Amino acid sequence: MPLDTIQDDFESGLKPLWMRAQSGDDTAYAQALHRIAHRLRGYFRRRMHSQPDDVEDLVQETLLALHVQRGTYDPTLPVSAWVLAIARHKLVDLWRRRGRRDNLHDALDDVDEALLVAMPNDGSAQRDLDKLLHELPAAQRQAILLTKVEGLSVAEASQRTGASESAIKVQVHRGLKRLALLVKVGGAA
Amino acid sequence: MKTDALIEMLARGAGPAPRAVAARRLALAAGLGLLLSALLALTLIGPIPTTMYATPVPWMKFAYAGSLALAAGWLTARLARPIARLETPRRSVVAVIGAMVALGTLALIATPSSERMTALLGHSWLSCPWNVLAFSLPALAASLWAVRGMAPTRPHAAGFAAGLFAGTVGAMGYALSCPEQSAAFVAVWYTLGIGLTGALGALLGPRVLRW
Repeated sequence: MPLDTIQDDFESGLKPLWMRAQSGDDTAYAQALHRIAHRLRGYFRRRMHSQPDDVEDLVQETLLALHVQRGTYDPTLPVSAWVLAIARHKLVDLWRRRGRRDNLHDALDDVDEALLVAMPNDGSAQRDLDKLLHELPAAQRQAILLTKVEGLSVAEASQRTGASESAIKVQVHRGLKRLALLVKVGGAA
Repeated sequence: MKTDALIEMLARGAGPAPRAVAARRLALAAGLGLLLSALLALTLIGPIPTTMYATPVPWMKFAYAGSLALAAGWLTARLARPIARLETPRRSVVAVIGAMVALGTLALIATPSSERMTALLGHSWLSCPWNVLAFSLPALAASLWAVRGMAPTRPHAAGFAAGLFAGTVGAMGYALSCPEQSAAFVAVWYTLGIGLTGALGALLGPRVLRW
């Protein structure tokens, strides 16, 4: 089964990176997310013929969801299955919001992944996350900009703002969680 | 923002993934829910006589609600994840309910046949399930909040499990005010109240468990 081989390749390449990421290796985490983004792009492209412009937005929305929900990954299960369960949820959610009920009758899982050929994409989304960042409450935005964009450590960000280190961590987590809600493609916003 | 930039942003200083997310959130929900449900039961109905605590009656109720809370909480924690193995927690829920039903049946068999109906219906069979449901509402809101903050992909099932979990919390609170003595009564009417809370959770699930 070529399908199984390809899925196993994805899983076996991803799992060690992911496990290192879960225990705090940020470099491995970035590598894992790049692999996942590539995979998601193919997954969504196959299922969104009629909305190709939304693919990259949904990739970003799913990556954000994966990040804020990384605590729900159970290490006894395949990472790829966890990733695709979230991707599938995001896709169905998009269709529901768009009222594309007919799409729900398409088989979601009967797609030959071997046919997925990644088309060139520079990773540009329609929706701009930078703009959405500015819709966050000030404390959350600042915590994210300092630690995630400027690259300060939590201790440095704490010194800069006068907030405690645990407060910074909480603001970053809450901010990303809120961002994950704000990014819903075609949402009410 | 391009996807590569987003990935760099997410990974930068990400640190280790949070641990035991479900356990922490559900424990908080149960704690809050239990506090409110006990408060409601004690103020609206009033406490059972303290002499009852010298009998096994309230402890049987706490033990049943407590062990079902563990089993239903386990199931809820699993259903709050995008994918999960459900067989074992599901079987534990059935096993706890089955054990209580067996205990109730034994109690009925041990009761003289002329008193069986009285034991089974007590004097509050009509209100008991509704009281359990009502005293479960704070725990239900808290449990649905707890699950909503995670990543449930089966909202009906996750809502049902969260409802069962909340129902056990409400049953614990109600047991502080419920004078019924028979195990058969608990096996039927408490279980029905917990089941009603589960049904309400299943109904609310698709509406509130969006993420």
